[in-house]
Amino acid sequence: MSKRYGSTVALASLDLEINRGEVFGLLGPNGSGKTTFIRLLAGYLLPTAGQLEVCGCDSVEQSLEARRRIGYVPEAAPVYGYMRVREFLAFMARLRGLGERAVRDAVDRVIAALALEPVADRPTRTLSRGFRQRTAIAQALVHDPELLILDEPANGLDPRQIIEIRALIRGLAGRHTVLMSSHVLGEVARTADRVGILLDGRLRGVRAMADTPDLEEWFLSLA
Amino acid sequence: MRALGILLRKELLATFGSPIGYTVAAVFLLVLGYTFSLTLFATKVANLIYIFHQMYVLTILLVPALTMRAFAEERRNDTLELLLTAPVGEIWIVLAKFLAVYGLVLAMYGGAFVYVGVLEAYGAPDWGPIGSGYLALVCHAALIVAIGLLMSSLTENQVVAAALTLGASLMLWFADSVAYLLPPPIDSVVLNLSLIGHFRPMVTGSVFVSDIGYFVSGGLLALFLTTRRLAER
Repeated sequence: MSKRYGSTVALASLDLEINRGEVFGLLGPNGSGKTTFIRLLAGYLLPTAGQLEVCGCDSVEQSLEARRRIGYVPEAAPVYGYMRVREFLAFMARLRGLGERAVRDAVDRVIAALALEPVADRPTRTLSRGFRQRTAIAQALVHDPELLILDEPANGLDPRQIIEIRALIRGLAGRHTVLMSSHVLGEVARTADRVGILLDGRLRGVRAMADTPDLEEWFLSLA
Repeated sequence: MRALGILLRKELLATFGSPIGYTVAAVFLLVLGYTFSLTLFATKVANLIYIFHQMYVLTILLVPALTMRAFAEERRNDTLELLLTAPVGEIWIVLAKFLAVYGLVLAMYGGAFVYVGVLEAYGAPDWGPIGSGYLALVCHAALIVAIGLLMSSLTENQVVAAALTLGASLMLWFADSVAYLLPPPIDSVVLNLSLIGHFRPMVTGSVFVSDIGYFVSGGLLALFLTTRRLAER
């Protein structure tokens, strides 16, 4: 699969398969094409050439079905500032097709899972960065998706919040497939089962973390 | 259709949760009340033609303030990514935003209906032109709101979106003046693009299908282009 913007190549001939139930870490410096790849997977962008299959659905031909199966947290962790946390989660749940009865249960479930009880009735514009990030992850999980896509999930978080988010992602492995991007080697090393290194829009290598004793050394050998 | 209801509820929450809507409605009704009183005392004629023209101008001036945030704000806050990666068609996102702003504009027009009551109480107004005048305004607002949404979908800067909407509306308004400077057959094409050229007959009581068709087809074209813009990925 490739993605071009005019004459600029954002992703070139990327060939990758992510296994069901694993946490896959996409590593690369800023501008390497991580966000473009993630946006393609989330359905926000469409490939210029090639084919992209999400949970068995073609991202172009079966776009709505593919989007139904994913939960996506953009890098900026966007929320609607004029909604309360509970209201925002309910809106996202309805938008993803949950019925009214299921919405209430799903919202309560993710509020408990992400420890959002103290801020559940607060407007999202008043949240701290950590709670905002958790709210963004909660909206992505509210419909229990097969694939969770996280763009730089540790961005702007303090060390304690990073540890909490890491534990949360590890806890999702098995039940959900997780794709996370990061430019922090240590973050990917501690969270992912497999890692792919993206440099200048090209996937330079994919390895299981179990087979990669020194991620830093491997990254430097490719860069 | 369920998606439209969910999105419309969200848009109404955004519209009525923001001071912009209330401010625009207040300015609209204040200016209109002022000019209605002046016109009525000056002419002592029980018709609303002047008021309808005022509403026409105010719609062009104020609607950009309502539509500018529709997509520009979503794009700037990255919430557009949430909407476009949800399993809903782009058309429902566009329609929900259109209906929310259009609903507010119609509510503003509804507030101005009190002037009809004043004329009825103190005079004998001709109901035909009043009905066709309101029909003209309803059509006019639909087109301006649709143009506003299209412009908002082109940028993430709200001021730029408002300026583009105002510019496009004014260009359409004055298209007939430009037409006289152009050679045939381009002049007749440009003449038929004139906003006021299709508004004026209706507001004076002459309802032609061609005039309604102009507003409806223009509005649908703008909504279609907005949807295409969102679908460009």
